[in-house]
Amino acid sequence: MIDRRDFLKIGAATTATAACPAFIDAMELQLGGQDFHQIRTYHARQRKPYLCTMCSYFDGGFTYAEAGEVMKTEGNPDHIATRGKFCSKGLASFFGASDPDRILNPLKRVGERGAGKWKEITWEEAIKEVSEKVSVNLDDADSIYLNEGGFKDGGAIRFMHTIGSHSIIRSRLQGIGTAPKQMALKQMTGVNFILPDLEHTKYVLNFGANIMETALPLAQRLTDGIVNNRLKLVTFDVRMSNTAGRSDEWLPVFPGSDGIIALAMANVILQNGLANTDFISYWTNYSLEELTKDLAKFTPEMAEEASGVPAKTIVNIAIEFAKSKPAAVFSHNGLSWHKDGIDSEKACLLLAAITGNIDNEGGNCLPRQFNIAEPQPAPESTENATKTMHYSFPFEVKDGKRNVQVLFNHMSNPAYSAPAASLWREMLKDEKKIPYIVDFSPFMSETAELADIILPDVVDVERDNIASSPTALWPWMTMTIPNIEPLGKAQDVRMTMKKIVEAIDPTGDKGMKQYWAFSNTKQWVKDEIKATEGTDKKTYKRLKSKGVWPNYGKIDPADRKILDKKGNPVLAKYATYKEEGFATSSGKMEFDSLSWTKNPRHQDLKESEFVLTTFKVAYQTLSLTSNLKYISEMYHSNPLWLNGNVAKKLGIRDDSLVRVTSEVGFLVTKAFLTQGIHPQVVGISTSVGRSAYGRVAQADPHAHMPFAKKEQEDPDIDDNLWWRDAGTNPNDIIPLAIDPASGVQTWNDTVVTISPAEAGDKYGDIKVDNAKHFAIYKQSLT
Amino acid sequence: MNESVITYNVFHHVAWGTTISVYFWLVGASAGSFVISSFGWVFGIKRYKPLALTASVTAIAMLLIVPILLIWDLGRPLRFLYLMLPGYWHATGPMSWGTALIFSYPIAMLIYTYFVVKNNPLWAKIVGIVSIVLALSTHWYTGVVMELNPGRFLNHTALAPLLFLTGAFISGIGLLILILWIQNMFVAIKNRIEWALIEEMAQYMMYGLVFDAFLLFLDFMQTLYGSHSEVMGHEIVLMGVFRFPYLWLEMVIGLIIPFFILVSPIKKFKAGIILAALLVAVGVYGMRVWWVMGGQYLQTFY
Amino acid sequence: MPDSHEKTRRSYGLQTAGTKGVAGTKRYAMIIDLRKCIGCRSCMVACKAEFGIPLGVWRTWVKEGDKGRYPNTKRIFMPRLCNHCDYPVCVRNCPTQATFKHKDGFVLQRYNRCIGCRTCMVACPYNARHLIPAKRTDGNLPTMVVDKCTFCIHRVKKGIVPSCVQACVGGARIFGDMNDPNSEVAKLASKETLTVLKPELGTSPSVSYIGGDWELMDEPHSYTNRSTGLKEEFNDFKRNHKGDAFGDIIEGGDSTMKQVGQNMNGFLHTIPHKAKNVFDAFVNFLFK
Ligand SMILES: Nc1nc2c(c(=O)[nH]1)N[C@H]1C(S)=C(S)[C@@H](COP(=O)(O)OP(=O)(O)OC[C@H]3O[C@@H](n4cnc5c(=O)[nH]c(N)nc54)[C@H](O)[C@@H]3O)O[C@H]1N2
Ligand SMILES: Nc1nc2c(c(=O)[nH]1)N[C@H]1C(S)=C(S)[C@@H](COP(=O)(O)OP(=O)(O)OC[C@H]3O[C@@H](n4cnc5c(=O)[nH]c(N)nc54)[C@H](O)[C@@H]3O)O[C@H]1N2
Ligand code: SF4
Ligand code: SF4
Ligand code: SF4
Ligand code: SF4
Ligand code: SF4
Ligand SMILES: [Mo]
Repeated sequence: MIDRRDFLKIGAATTATAACPAFIDAMELQLGGQDFHQIRTYHARQRKPYLCTMCSYFDGGFTYAEAGEVMKTEGNPDHIATRGKFCSKGLASFFGASDPDRILNPLKRVGERGAGKWKEITWEEAIKEVSEKVSVNLDDADSIYLNEGGFKDGGAIRFMHTIGSHSIIRSRLQGIGTAPKQMALKQMTGVNFILPDLEHTKYVLNFGANIMETALPLAQRLTDGIVNNRLKLVTFDVRMSNTAGRSDEWLPVFPGSDGIIALAMANVILQNGLANTDFISYWTNYSLEELTKDLAKFTPEMAEEASGVPAKTIVNIAIEFAKSKPAAVFSHNGLSWHKDGIDSEKACLLLAAITGNIDNEGGNCLPRQFNIAEPQPAPESTENATKTMHYSFPFEVKDGKRNVQVLFNHMSNPAYSAPAASLWREMLKDEKKIPYIVDFSPFMSETAELADIILPDVVDVERDNIASSPTALWPWMTMTIPNIEPLGKAQDVRMTMKKIVEAIDPTGDKGMKQYWAFSNTKQWVKDEIKATEGTDKKTYKRLKSKGVWPNYGKIDPADRKILDKKGNPVLAKYATYKEEGFATSSGKMEFDSLSWTKNPRHQDLKESEFVLTTFKVAYQTLSLTSNLKYISEMYHSNPLWLNGNVAKKLGIRDDSLVRVTSEVGFLVTKAFLTQGIHPQVVGISTSVGRSAYGRVAQADPHAHMPFAKKEQEDPDIDDNLWWRDAGTNPNDIIPLAIDPASGVQTWNDTVVTISPAEAGDKYGDIKVDNAKHFAIYKQSLT
Repeated sequence: MNESVITYNVFHHVAWGTTISVYFWLVGASAGSFVISSFGWVFGIKRYKPLALTASVTAIAMLLIVPILLIWDLGRPLRFLYLMLPGYWHATGPMSWGTALIFSYPIAMLIYTYFVVKNNPLWAKIVGIVSIVLALSTHWYTGVVMELNPGRFLNHTALAPLLFLTGAFISGIGLLILILWIQNMFVAIKNRIEWALIEEMAQYMMYGLVFDAFLLFLDFMQTLYGSHSEVMGHEIVLMGVFRFPYLWLEMVIGLIIPFFILVSPIKKFKAGIILAALLVAVGVYGMRVWWVMGGQYLQTFY
Repeated sequence: MPDSHEKTRRSYGLQTAGTKGVAGTKRYAMIIDLRKCIGCRSCMVACKAEFGIPLGVWRTWVKEGDKGRYPNTKRIFMPRLCNHCDYPVCVRNCPTQATFKHKDGFVLQRYNRCIGCRTCMVACPYNARHLIPAKRTDGNLPTMVVDKCTFCIHRVKKGIVPSCVQACVGGARIFGDMNDPNSEVAKLASKETLTVLKPELGTSPSVSYIGGDWELMDEPHSYTNRSTGLKEEFNDFKRNHKGDAFGDIIEGGDSTMKQVGQNMNGFLHTIPHKAKNVFDAFVNFLFK
């Protein structure tokens, strides 16, 4: 018999696997923290800390680089929240740097807006042009707008503060979660996030959060709990998300009915004497009697009527939940993106409070987080004076209510991701309404396409950055140190803004320059650390070498618990509120009126009428991922989910074309018949259906990208990109529907009619009437 | 609506495609022709001697195309040389045996043909015997190379080499009949092959068809009473996507129709025999298609 | 009892014999705990990024399915990769010894030997192998040879787990030496019921599952129960991602025989390109 060594002699041993020396014996395999070239030499790659900002969880990891190119991004095994795990988006994020369709030079529009013709200009020209536009409007600084979509504030927001403009629009709110959730939590607990301690819990009630797809640091704790702790997971969702599909019980609900279910459950718990009366009387502003009385009107029968979940099931689950100790609740957009979503959020948290599951092991924990401060000295914030504008901005522009001279757009893509996206595009295109648009995007997004000038930002792996997110039971901080030089002429927004400020205020007379005294973005990060409470002199150094700070111990690869130096588990501190009380004015959890109302638009739906839900999938973020080839290869098409039993009645076959018609227009897409969706709901996922961004996103390897650089070309995309179905964007047909209480779009309330496609309809057709969009807005004002 | 649906999977290509099926057909036809060629010189059936040269030239011609197909079908064509390097040789790989056969068979055939032309009965016989063994082995191997894949349920049957050989025999004769018929049109009358001889060959072809039908029936039984994969393979692949090559091309066009021609009075007509020969030759190609591509088909979605 | 094991140690041809349970040997193995798999496909991206794998081919993937009728429905996932069989058919059938069984349980490829004949792809019952397309991002990496999962031997030998294991968010992929009784995989194997794919073939896979589901494990079932969308996407794949075997048949399109003809045509068209490559190789060899 020939053994492997002989093989080596026979073949010229230059391949991946042939040159392996004997094994290092009996070594426990580590989770990572190092990386090696996979071929021939196995040399180690250069490691630098990395903070993923593809979503707001800010997971900490590393980049590994070789020959001036980042080869990989990966989780940091010592990170207490990430525990070495990145989701697919984080793992693919480094591709942004080598994206062949990336913008590497400042671009100036030639020809009409949106015509797709660009001219490369120098940074000097670009800064000069933009700073002049700003300068002439400085007297009325509020006519200078910023549409900010970043998960974390950076240069653009500071710039607005510097010039004293109040016109900041946020397409994403700060921190994790959306407005209603944050507002409800803030009001009740004084903080805007609650972390379910999924590792230690026995029971999870999940209302409309797709934990396994959208909250990856929580998902890994969920799976540990499922196997190690045998926790029971009950999910309320209108469709079978991955989370619902992997839950012990998935309870399909009629949209917007979670609130009444939660209230009915609270009622049942009190009626059965299962409430934690001590917690209620010491730590909430409600007395047990009052609460019992106020809840009595929310009966399980009422909840059944509204949601379709049998009253008996509601009672059983309520009792099971109350009896399981500890237990946790979690909710997200599914629950809150409805009219009066705040009320439902409160009802959900009420369940945790009355069972005493607040900041206990396995319950709902108060966030532990560093509040990263701005580099000092900082300009006075203009934000508090800002009226939340969000998605109604383009309507107000059209209505003549806003005087916009300059619009900066940072990390946001409303022309794709906002409701009534078609109206956004109409306004962005209108040079009379918005005379000058500056976009910092490194990619040609649907919004950037309509800009007058693009000042390309660097991408994640090239950016000095620092963040903290409340995703673990201990506060942590993570940072990025660029592992490569920025490609082409890309430049960090903070440096671009600095140069613009210096051009506006060259002498410092205007008092602006002082806030932009940092030499580079590394200095900016150091200044941030210095200004942040709880840090010390070693913080930066530690972060630099370990990627995460502080260090609480090692993570045991077997059961993923944190161990100290002696190998004992590190235990978290709980019941922190007992020391200083809740951060509310009374120091207690504050519940006000408990209420729930059915959305009048959802009353008496016709047979062909459905509530449209849009949802996120595990592998895509709104726009950040769309041109990443490995991501789009896995997910590029978003057919309409439709209950298979209902489809029959409508004469719709699997994969056939359907029309989805809302008040403002229709789109044509394919039907995906499934048993995993409520019969009165249809669903379209977001993140795909691109008209811009690049060859991958548009599923067209031959699309012409005028700004693409030869050196960046990827033969893999040219030759092997195999899918041609790029999906459809639902946002054009979603009319503006802002919930007055929270100021947020009620994404999950849209009513649509479903019918088989008509003659002449083509896949991907979208026809909407912006006048109708506008009329709906007008009506909402009255 | 199904109770369960598979909603995501990645995709796989069939590993061996049209090229390989054409190659299988060519090797088969070559072996079949060669068997006829050997009738006269090896088995001493005198009346076959006149057509030996045409038959072996046909066999060689068929086989000359094979390396082109096979080598250019490789991901790395130049590396076909590795197949013959001692350090690379892998005794357990059926493909290794095939390589040895594919290279030695045409050489033996050339030498045999040389002796046929030189009219040297002794050496023609000796080399002929070697060649006929190689011819049969070369084609036997094509069945084996598919058979020895336990995961390819439709191919994993000991009948495979027999099916291939039978197919070779009938398609070889079919092809030869066509060639002789054409040859007869162009050569002087005295050099023409007697029609009676061709009729006799057609008769052999008919026996081959019967045997082929029997083998196909056995194969059918096995899949019908087989594992889930075999049953479904029959239902989805053979009667589904590959229904045309399997049912129509191989069974109806290549088997049933020529059989009826050859047992009915139509065989008295020249055109009848020519037609039957044509149908058989084409029909066997149907078998090569479903056997190669059909056998891998189900698994591309696994 | 090493003796009794010794007897069961089979081997397929010129290669290291199976090491399952043989004392003093290693047998690296992966257990996939499907209770923990959340279908996040991080493993797929991690693996592709690790090796710069071209579009349209995969070393690992996650099959997904929906079960049941509304409202009693469930979602199932099943990650797939090379099984690193103890008795690998792929190795046995390879004519050039390009693929071989490493003594520690890995089944590996030697690109410089591989002729791209795809015999091993036909042989592998699990579809774990693919031919690398002619073009890829890094032109210095091999093309037009067969590739497969390596169990990340380059990482394992440096003391870290494979890339997909390191990335696995759910913690479903567990990797280690099955012959070491103290390893996590061995402990799990003694505690839980494991299933493997196509056990009847006797390949003795090193990848096993906890909580495997028939619907995803069965081969013809995977085919018959595809969603229509997936079937159409497969067709799209066959249309646009030309494999180099020219055997793909698009369902519901042109007749099978017509497509066979088109495939032959496709093959003939590649000959000049390949001839040029061969010519270039010669020129390189002779004059450089
Ligand atoms: N993969 C991925 N992760 C992300 C992001 C991403 O883009 N991609 N984005 C991040 C951001 S910005 C956010 S805001 C979060 C959002 O995270 P999630 O809120 O978890 O995600 P969504 O998909 O917006 O909505 C969750 C679920 O609500 C369901 N739903 C709709 N209507 C109802 C209802 O009436 N009741 C109930 N119970 N459920 C309903 C939908 O079917 C969907 O499954 O995710 C973050 N994480
Ligand atoms: N139908 C539907 N619509 C939705 C949602 C939904 O669930 N369904 N979800 C909503 C939610 S929760 C959110 S948070 C919003 C998110 O929507 P947006 O806030 O608009 O975010 P994205 O669409 O991801 O756009 C980010 C843009 O930033 C740019 N960019 C990318 N990288 C960089 C960089 O490094 N630097 C700079 N300067 N720019 C960069 C790119 O041009 C990219 O298009 O979408 C909302 N829209
Ligand atoms: S969950 Fe994924 S996208 Fe979000 S921060 Fe973590 S790795 Fe990045
Ligand atoms: S799974 Fe396939 S490729 Fe992997 S070792 Fe087994 S037979 Fe070979
Ligand atoms: S393709 Fe390569 S590895 Fe596979 S059988 Fe042929 S030579 Fe061996
Ligand atoms: S072990 Fe390595 S090569 Fe194999 S699937 Fe996992 S990451 Fe890919
Ligand atoms: S990474 Fe792990 S949890 Fe995610 S799909 Fe792969 S095996 Fe499943
Ligand atoms: Mo969001």
